[in-house]
Amino acid sequence: MTAAPIGYGRQSNRLASGGLIDRSKTLHFTFDGKTYAGHPGDTLASALLANGVVLTARSFKYHRPRGILAAGSEEPNALVELRDGARREPNTKATVAELFDGLTATSQNRWPSLAFDLLSINSLFSPVFVAGFYYKTFMWPAALWEKLYEPLIRRAAGLGRASDDADPDTYEKATAFADVLVIGGGPAGLAAAQAAARTSARVILVDENAALGGRAVDDASEIAGNPAHEWVKMLEGELSRNPEVRILRRTTVFGSYDGGTYGALERVSDHLPHPAPGAPRQRLWRLVAKKVVLATGATERPIVFGGNDRPGVMLAGAVRTYVNRYGVVPGQRVVVFTNNDYGATTASDLVRAGADVVALVDSRPEISDHVYRITNETGVRLISNAAVTDALGKRHVTGADIRLGDGERIELACDLIAVSGGWNPNIQLTTHLGGKPVWNDRLHAFLPGAVPAGMSLAGAVAGDLTLAKSLAGGNAAGSAAADESGHKAIAVPVPTAIAESDAVTPLWRVIGYKGKAFVDQQNDVTEKDIALAEREGFRAVEHLKRYTTLGMATDQGRTANVNALAIMAELTGRTIPETGITVARPPYSPVALGALAGHHRGKSFKPTRLPPSYRWAKEQGCVFVETGLWLRPSYFPRPGERDWLETVTREVNTVRNAVGICDVSTLGKVDVQGAGAAAFLDNIYMNGLKTLTVGKCRYGGMLREDGILMDDGTVARLGENHFFITTTTANAVKVVQHMEYCAQWLWPELDVQIVSATEQWAQYAVAGPKSRALLQKIVDPAFDISDSGFPYLGVGEITVCGGIKARLFRLSFSGERAYEIGVPARYGDALIRRLMEAGEEFGACSYGTEALGVMRIEKGHISGPELNGTTTPQDVGLGGMVAKKKDFIGSVLGKRPGLVDPDRPSLVGFRPVDRSARLRSGAHFLARDARPEAANDEGYMTSVAYSPSSGHWVGLGLLRRGPERLGEIVRAYDPVRGADTLVEVVSPVFVDPEGGRVRG
Amino acid sequence: MADHILTPSSAFMDWHPPATPKLAASARETLTMASFAAARGKEQALREAISAAYGAVLPKSAGRVEAGGIAFVWAGPDQWLAITEHEGARDLEAELKEKLTGIASVVDQSDSRVVVRISGSRARSVLAKGVPIDLHPRAFAPGSVAITHASHVGIILWQVDDAPTYEAAMFRSYADSFAHWLFEAAAEYVSAQP
Repeated sequence: MTAAPIGYGRQSNRLASGGLIDRSKTLHFTFDGKTYAGHPGDTLASALLANGVVLTARSFKYHRPRGILAAGSEEPNALVELRDGARREPNTKATVAELFDGLTATSQNRWPSLAFDLLSINSLFSPVFVAGFYYKTFMWPAALWEKLYEPLIRRAAGLGRASDDADPDTYEKATAFADVLVIGGGPAGLAAAQAAARTSARVILVDENAALGGRAVDDASEIAGNPAHEWVKMLEGELSRNPEVRILRRTTVFGSYDGGTYGALERVSDHLPHPAPGAPRQRLWRLVAKKVVLATGATERPIVFGGNDRPGVMLAGAVRTYVNRYGVVPGQRVVVFTNNDYGATTASDLVRAGADVVALVDSRPEISDHVYRITNETGVRLISNAAVTDALGKRHVTGADIRLGDGERIELACDLIAVSGGWNPNIQLTTHLGGKPVWNDRLHAFLPGAVPAGMSLAGAVAGDLTLAKSLAGGNAAGSAAADESGHKAIAVPVPTAIAESDAVTPLWRVIGYKGKAFVDQQNDVTEKDIALAEREGFRAVEHLKRYTTLGMATDQGRTANVNALAIMAELTGRTIPETGITVARPPYSPVALGALAGHHRGKSFKPTRLPPSYRWAKEQGCVFVETGLWLRPSYFPRPGERDWLETVTREVNTVRNAVGICDVSTLGKVDVQGAGAAAFLDNIYMNGLKTLTVGKCRYGGMLREDGILMDDGTVARLGENHFFITTTTANAVKVVQHMEYCAQWLWPELDVQIVSATEQWAQYAVAGPKSRALLQKIVDPAFDISDSGFPYLGVGEITVCGGIKARLFRLSFSGERAYEIGVPARYGDALIRRLMEAGEEFGACSYGTEALGVMRIEKGHISGPELNGTTTPQDVGLGGMVAKKKDFIGSVLGKRPGLVDPDRPSLVGFRPVDRSARLRSGAHFLARDARPEAANDEGYMTSVAYSPSSGHWVGLGLLRRGPERLGEIVRAYDPVRGADTLVEVVSPVFVDPEGGRVRG
Repeated sequence: MADHILTPSSAFMDWHPPATPKLAASARETLTMASFAAARGKEQALREAISAAYGAVLPKSAGRVEAGGIAFVWAGPDQWLAITEHEGARDLEAELKEKLTGIASVVDQSDSRVVVRISGSRARSVLAKGVPIDLHPRAFAPGSVAITHASHVGIILWQVDDAPTYEAAMFRSYADSFAHWLFEAAAEYVSAQP
């Protein structure tokens, strides 16, 4: 920021005093490459207006010149690209972008320049672009859609350009709780927050803008005998001194959700060149409140007349905001066009600011005393029972065509038309959960119908447009909300306010205009489009919306929807409530996807679980694979190895010939104890466990209630009443949930305690003929791990490396002599290092999930591809394990005819007839001479691997009556990858079918 | 054998905790922890045994008590987690097994979870960026426990004192992701201000 030079530079429309901007500091910014000056407190829109910049954008469809219509988040026209480079942000409303020194903004949707836009030629072809033009114009030929029409439409109709670079800023999410949440920091909201905060209630006050005060400040009203902004400052002080009050400025509540939950977006750093160190750009709030006071105010609606989109046509309330809040007079010669008493207020404010108000055109034949009083005081020419039919001019307004009550037309020169068609309460948050608005015949606007539980209304959104009523309503709602949330209300006096008049007689559109009259300015929907929709039968409000795209732009049609509905009502001779109602869905205003993601982007999208050997594996140059949230070692390449296959082959061969070590800590581990533990496990496993003796483990499977395999793993019996089971990595959580359910709901009478111990143990598979020799160097000498002392399927609680407690299991998934050794996880890193060191003399290597997978396929063991939620134990060759005499989960439904049909595809092995051929999982089996069609499908390949032990590819698959067809040749047909391979049906066990090697 | 002794290692790959009055974090990785659950029908006997051994009244719902240097944290219906410093050789699993024979099952959880301590004037603001529950003193105070999550990482959270100091216990494999979130959430309070 630089010190202000003398005078106000080129800010020709800036008042010498007044408003809440800081004239002692000057900020420089550029718009379309030109440099301008503004002040702290400005928005981009107010600063542009101060500099006399009226043309700010081109419209969406017709590329018509557009200016600034509003002063808040309802702005449909003044959308710009803000900032540049990676921070470039398209479609930003100039009316809410706060000015900072060095801000750069660029107009969008124009080429080559804003003043001269080639595509404005679209206006000449407007008959083509009317409502439904997508549906009518681009029908034929269909082939042109993708190549020609769609790219053309996208280029022509697109708004701003998003940056191609990654967003350099961070976003975050947070949760806050309140007894009373006040949404809206205008007079009603402030009064509500004050009344609630005087109790002991926890209060959150949220306001969309940088500064509190809302319309009271925009209108430079008086409250309690003082200028409104002073009352606001006093209240802000009171609230910020209260530790139970949180004020969220620059925060938009964009959605209401169940249970008193509201979504809000805080623009933490949008008003700064870049966020402060460590600060996020935006913060997404989840606000949870017992009671909510909705004080969201109202949005002024325009009147539809010819050329009403010309730069220089502005909402009257916005004109007052620019004058009173920003010290900017947006025009020097002004016509005010109104159907309500706030038009006169606008004229009065403009006169006070030194503008020439050429006329107050009031559509009403009967004029209230309130208006007469103002026009008498200010000397403004009042033209009643009249209407502006057209705004004249091209790139900015130069005059107004006015039709008088007697039909005569006059033309008045002007550079600003301030228009007010009345107010639409901002009821959106009351409709998000399905509340239907109710038409109010006095205000000619929708008011909230049923509101979400816990919500009350105050101020304009409750239909109380005047300041006095807003303050009183806010005060009462705040007290009541605090009281209902359990904090006894304290009477707080309601401040006084000057009298206002909110009388309105509806006028939605002017008849007899010459130019284009816009209803939805952001989506370029005209009054004629609505008439066309009516003629073509799209009269229902939802049809109207979809046919014309009305209300579907980023502003949610906040200045358009009610006008459109009213026009449709007039066209069809119905009342507005008969025609339909407009409800909104979240978000109230756009929310960046970055804010919805928060911390969860890139590698933080989900948490990553690191296994105990992670650090060591990383040092080895291990390639990892994501399995669920886990990052597991996949394979360990060594220098000189050409590809993963060479690495994996080496790892497999090392295990088969020497010894390999693999981190299997990710497998689920569950500790099950209690006098009923054995009975409990017998109920949930398909195989008998009662005969499992202490110190032994057993392979087991569990079924779902419907008889389909759920998971497999091992069950170890550590004591009479103490079991330790393992699950697959993928099902670890699901199995514990299932067991908890069984314990709590199915057999609450059983004494069983279940607790997950997955993360307690770092567990390594030590596999291969030299595994025992290696372990003898690790396991403390007091423990006998000879084959007689510790046979296959043995389990023991031991110590290793001089007294560290450990568990040893003699289990094998590779088919080799193998053990699993577990130590408390904090020793996991040290143990893998020690194992590798001790294994050096045996030629040990580490192996990952790839080699693990190859070896289990070579042994015909099932895994995820076979445990796929459609298979029974019989399907995967485990039929023999299923207990015949006991009852267990899945035993009854597993006997359904469809599940015991001998024709079901069942597990067998496959090898290619041409041994050099590669197999692919997913290939379907066909008889050799069968046509490749679904009717001839006989099953599919589930798992394949290159088998170093066999010297060729091998596969496992589910083949109809597979086990009866050993030796047969079938086709493995894979049209997706263009393969059609002859394969021989073989036993699924490719290595050591007798199983002698596991026993040593 | 001396050179073969296994040394424990940290669960965090990248741990550079903030240490300012606004926010300080530290990892407690030298704890011994054991979960214990009452055998069927032995709830009262368990309470009496714990009371006799440690002078602690086990909380009946989400809560934490400290007695005899051990913290007892409610972990589910009739389930608790006992936590204390390992101090070289203390083993809560062994200790509790001996005292609770026949009335509770005891499982060593010393390495299942790591505990992160978070304190400072902005501790609540930082936690609010990931923990979806109300930590206002009226809702959550020393002795309160919640089984919740922090930025998708499941945690058991309790408050230690009014500083305020909190502790979050998470499964060991999540430690690094938790730390990454914590440091990012804390950044605005610990970064050097311009």
